[in-house]
Amino acid sequence: MRTYAPAPVDAVLARLLEEPSLARGVVHHALVPAREAETVPLPAWVDPRIRGALAQQGIPSLYTHQAEALAAVRSGRDVCVVTPTASGKSLCYELPVLQALAEDPSARALWLFPTKALGQDQVAAFRALAGAAGLAISTATYDGDTPAPIRSSIREAGQVVVTNPDMLHAAILPHHTKWFQLFEQVQVIVVDELHLYRGLFGSHVGNVLRRLLRICRHYGANPVIVTCSATIANPGELATRLTGRVPLVVDRNGAPAGERHVLLVDPPIIDTPSGARGSALTLAQRWALPFLRAGRQTIVFGRSRTGVELILTGLREALREHGGPRARVRGYRGGYLPTERRAIEEGLRNGEVLGVVSTSALELGVDIGRLDVAVLAGYPGSIAATWQQFGRAGRRQDASVAILVASSAPVDQYVVHHPEFLLDRPPEEARVDPDNLHVLLAHLKAAAFELPFTPGEVFGPGPADDLLAFLAEDGHVHAGDDGRWYWASPDNFPASSISLRTAAEENVVIIDTTPDRPKVIGELDLFSAQTQVHEDAIYLHESAQFHVDRLDWDERKAYVRRVDVDHYTQAELAVTLKPLDVFAQAEVPGGRRHHGEVMVASRATIYKKLKFVTNENLGWGKIHLPELELQTTAYWTTLDGASAGWRRAELDVALAGTGRALQAVASVLLMVDPRDLGLVTQVRSPHAEAPTIYLYEGVPGGVGLAERLWARHAELVGGAADLVAACDCESGCPSCTGPRPPGGDAEVNAKILVLRLLAALGAAGLGNAPGGADPAEPVPQRAGLAASPVRITVPVRP
Amino acid sequence: MTDPALLQRRLAALRAARPRLPAPRRDNGVVTGRQRGAAQAERLAAAVGGEWLDGPAGHVVRVEPGTIALPLERARLASLPGQPPADARLVCLDTETTGLGTAAGTLAFLVGLGWWEGDRFRQVQLLCPDHGDEAALLAAVDAAIPPDAWLVTYNGRGFDWPLLVTRYRLIRRAAPVHAGMLDLLPHVRRLFRHRLGDARLATVERELLGVRRDADVGGWEIPERYLAFVHGGSAAPLAAVVTHNAEDVRSLGRLLVHLDRRYADPDRRRSAPAGDLLALARGYTRERRHDAALGCLDDADAGWRLPARGSDVWLHGVASPSSMASPAVTVSRERIRAERARTLRRLGRPADAAAAWEVIAAAGGPGAARAWVEVAKVREHALADHAGALAATAAAERAAERSRLLGMPDPALEPALAHRRRRLGARLRRSGDDARPEDARAGPR
Repeated sequence: MRTYAPAPVDAVLARLLEEPSLARGVVHHALVPAREAETVPLPAWVDPRIRGALAQQGIPSLYTHQAEALAAVRSGRDVCVVTPTASGKSLCYELPVLQALAEDPSARALWLFPTKALGQDQVAAFRALAGAAGLAISTATYDGDTPAPIRSSIREAGQVVVTNPDMLHAAILPHHTKWFQLFEQVQVIVVDELHLYRGLFGSHVGNVLRRLLRICRHYGANPVIVTCSATIANPGELATRLTGRVPLVVDRNGAPAGERHVLLVDPPIIDTPSGARGSALTLAQRWALPFLRAGRQTIVFGRSRTGVELILTGLREALREHGGPRARVRGYRGGYLPTERRAIEEGLRNGEVLGVVSTSALELGVDIGRLDVAVLAGYPGSIAATWQQFGRAGRRQDASVAILVASSAPVDQYVVHHPEFLLDRPPEEARVDPDNLHVLLAHLKAAAFELPFTPGEVFGPGPADDLLAFLAEDGHVHAGDDGRWYWASPDNFPASSISLRTAAEENVVIIDTTPDRPKVIGELDLFSAQTQVHEDAIYLHESAQFHVDRLDWDERKAYVRRVDVDHYTQAELAVTLKPLDVFAQAEVPGGRRHHGEVMVASRATIYKKLKFVTNENLGWGKIHLPELELQTTAYWTTLDGASAGWRRAELDVALAGTGRALQAVASVLLMVDPRDLGLVTQVRSPHAEAPTIYLYEGVPGGVGLAERLWARHAELVGGAADLVAACDCESGCPSCTGPRPPGGDAEVNAKILVLRLLAALGAAGLGNAPGGADPAEPVPQRAGLAASPVRITVPVRP
Repeated sequence: MTDPALLQRRLAALRAARPRLPAPRRDNGVVTGRQRGAAQAERLAAAVGGEWLDGPAGHVVRVEPGTIALPLERARLASLPGQPPADARLVCLDTETTGLGTAAGTLAFLVGLGWWEGDRFRQVQLLCPDHGDEAALLAAVDAAIPPDAWLVTYNGRGFDWPLLVTRYRLIRRAAPVHAGMLDLLPHVRRLFRHRLGDARLATVERELLGVRRDADVGGWEIPERYLAFVHGGSAAPLAAVVTHNAEDVRSLGRLLVHLDRRYADPDRRRSAPAGDLLALARGYTRERRHDAALGCLDDADAGWRLPARGSDVWLHGVASPSSMASPAVTVSRERIRAERARTLRRLGRPADAAAAWEVIAAAGGPGAARAWVEVAKVREHALADHAGALAATAAAERAAERSRLLGMPDPALEPALAHRRRRLGARLRRSGDDARPEDARAGPR
């Protein structure tokens, strides 16, 4: 048969599943059935001009979720829209805004996007729609690139102001008096890509929104808030935490979809004793190639810039044979010029681009239309991101295929061997803690700067008076003779000392010396800096590699240079941990679980050079940096009972391995990078006088992860046992119990020891998926996912 | 964090971790509310020599510095460019603030106002004893500014006024109505840029008004002094701030008087530095008052004096800072004459303009070639004298060549001249005009 014969996706897939070398790796194959469109007519009250514009764009009626959102906004209710990629989500806020402006041109709207690029995309789409409706609406992007002369006209006349949280925080809110036309008239606030506002960033953004709503109240405005999120477990809760108001969750997707095959693939083990597996990158290429040859639009997601380039090179090389469409396969990642990106996006929409290899840059709401096949080279780190990436494949009519190829990382292994985790369970919760004391106090300063506080005024968790009194001790605020709290510090712009995207106030600035004129490419808080930009580190920024030539710790500057190498660096931290305060504790089988505040002292000691893909150790070096202290929240378990009768050497191995497994499962459960959770195990904790496993949060004050882990202790223990038991290795490996400690006893079977310890902690029999939620916990709602996938049995060849 | 005990424990932990700051000073025991407000106002009033007033919106401290004699001829002043009408009421305004930005958290705690009553300059300063009294301060300021007044400020457009607008918006009030604003900063910049190192008010006082301040408080100290007082510290350091502000407002008045006497009085104007007059002429030109501009330039030309030996004015037309001491020489005579020639052209006197350019060209200075070009333009376009234009062009080419040989080439000029010469030559041939490029009018060979 011809190499490049066009074929439908199901035919190509059927052929591939008959190919033994590929089918061998398929550990699961599910079919998500097709879904019919659910539409309702446009409500009668929609302005005829808007109606006309929609008709022009081929939209005669609305999907049910769009209609629901539109009706809610009209009735003054906050809405949280949760539907998959490419389901017409933007219309859920574009329509209400358009309608409001059609009825009253003096109305205003404020749209927040996490990044500039996303905002610009949406502005273009909205302008087209408004233009088609014949409505002259001034829609303007206000960000760091907006020229000064245009800024004042946006302040005065911008009807739809599109910006990002950072600009709102540092440029708009402190100058709110210059924006009074906006704040007096703002009727709709849109917060898109809500799921990205999690962790510390989300905690900051929650406070920025508190400040925003406070300013709106000052000017007598009471806007409706429309939030849009990708599918996560707790969109309504997240929206509530971020906005302080309970929205109507609209998660019944009315958009149609063809049926979708979901395949979970594990590269076969090459070396059984060590557990080494084949490369996810290579396997992802093999799966993608036949679809490209059959003329099916395919996206391949790589996890790093290097990964993307490797896959791209491999695919193009293979397509070179017989004059294949190699030029129609493109790369897409940070570092490409905006014009280049726009051209690729356009090419994907109109079909000129057949294949694209991308980093997670294309996971966000960039409009590239709908493709046939998505191949993920590695688990993207969360269920939500996985479905976002899967969602790129999905025609309205025809079948599509989504393939996840696991790497050998423990999290990847856990996910592909627990299909129910990805397919049946709700995706992760997004955690934020806007009440993190460090974050809250910083924004309270900014808020007091913006407007005085009246006695008893609520900011966040309750009346702010105690916190304001605390700030008054340092002279930041002052209790006026009218009882109100006023900003009274010579610090003339408190917002400038808060960076929404990093933890500490003091950051290390990263300076790229590659170009003729060195430029700042980013900032890192001190805690991250010691492990990521120590001298000779390979620092990854927007998927690009940089070598750290010099770190001037006192000046807080890291000088880096662009490189292209085959390895990355991993720093080791010497960490000591001391509990300061216990917020909550409870008995569990084998010990006690705790949640509280800890002091973590860390010092980066050495770094290792590890080869990409294989993680082969290429060398190491020393790091000379001072010790750092971090006051944060932690979850810990003391193993008073579980450890009884153990030999010391075995307990060492079991604790370390159990800690690693718990850390991996915790990062999966909470949708965080494993680096966001630090691990400390103590064979004899000076505090508890018992063996203890601590998981602590990486940012000062934490963002609420520790509290969730405390609540989900049983799930963690069960999940960890399951991860280790299901692993194909014989005696523990980097995919489950972590790397063998240097100098450890080679005879010790870490796997058996860890499983024994976990069983003593109450882990039920093997095969227990982390589904047994703590009874104290309400089962999280499942939002927006398609109806439960129908499983079809796949013969897994030996 | 809804548990108050837990919050207190965590705040205590933060308190223990942060660097120890000196505790804010408290003058007296803990008193609260209006009682404390009154005490605060009383303390401030006593320290700055004012009175404190209690109103519905809070307390205000009012200081009235002594009046000074400061006669100002309004009708004459109004003849200067950019000045308000002679019958408009003038109110000088200057604020002292807790910082330099105009963002929402910067407070204008002192507003100084000054106005003329006959020949005397009268001042009032309004102070805010506490953040909570700001509404009272703003109401008092509003009452003190008549709606038909022009506000006279120094950088008021960029700072004082936007900041006050912000303050009024914060209390959801409209800023005081007024008829216009005369911001003296841009005037000073235009008139004196050629001889002042910067345009700070202190520099203006020293260089133009002959005012010296002894023991003046530095601008950067002002926010700290006020905030220390608000936090319970002493009010005494604010006395110097109030004096500073009173001097600032007075200087606004003095500056207006200086402008009036030195530049609006035709007799005294003649002795003004030529650079000042050149800038003033440009001010008139912007208002299309070309006759007035010409008068200014005539004065400048007549009063222009030879620069001191060693000055580089001959070469660059602008004096180096070291020659600031003799302000008369900061612009070259050639520049003044060139501006005069352009003004004549604007006045519709092309023959005079051409003659004026010829004078410059004949002097053979660095601008001679460009001056010949201007002669050529006027002859061609306004006087329709194409042969004369061609002759001037040839002269320009010779002058440009001479400059080049002297090591001062004008690379853009020579090709443009050649083009001009060809164009004029062709035109002459077409019209059959008797081209006599060697015309005696062409000037020096």
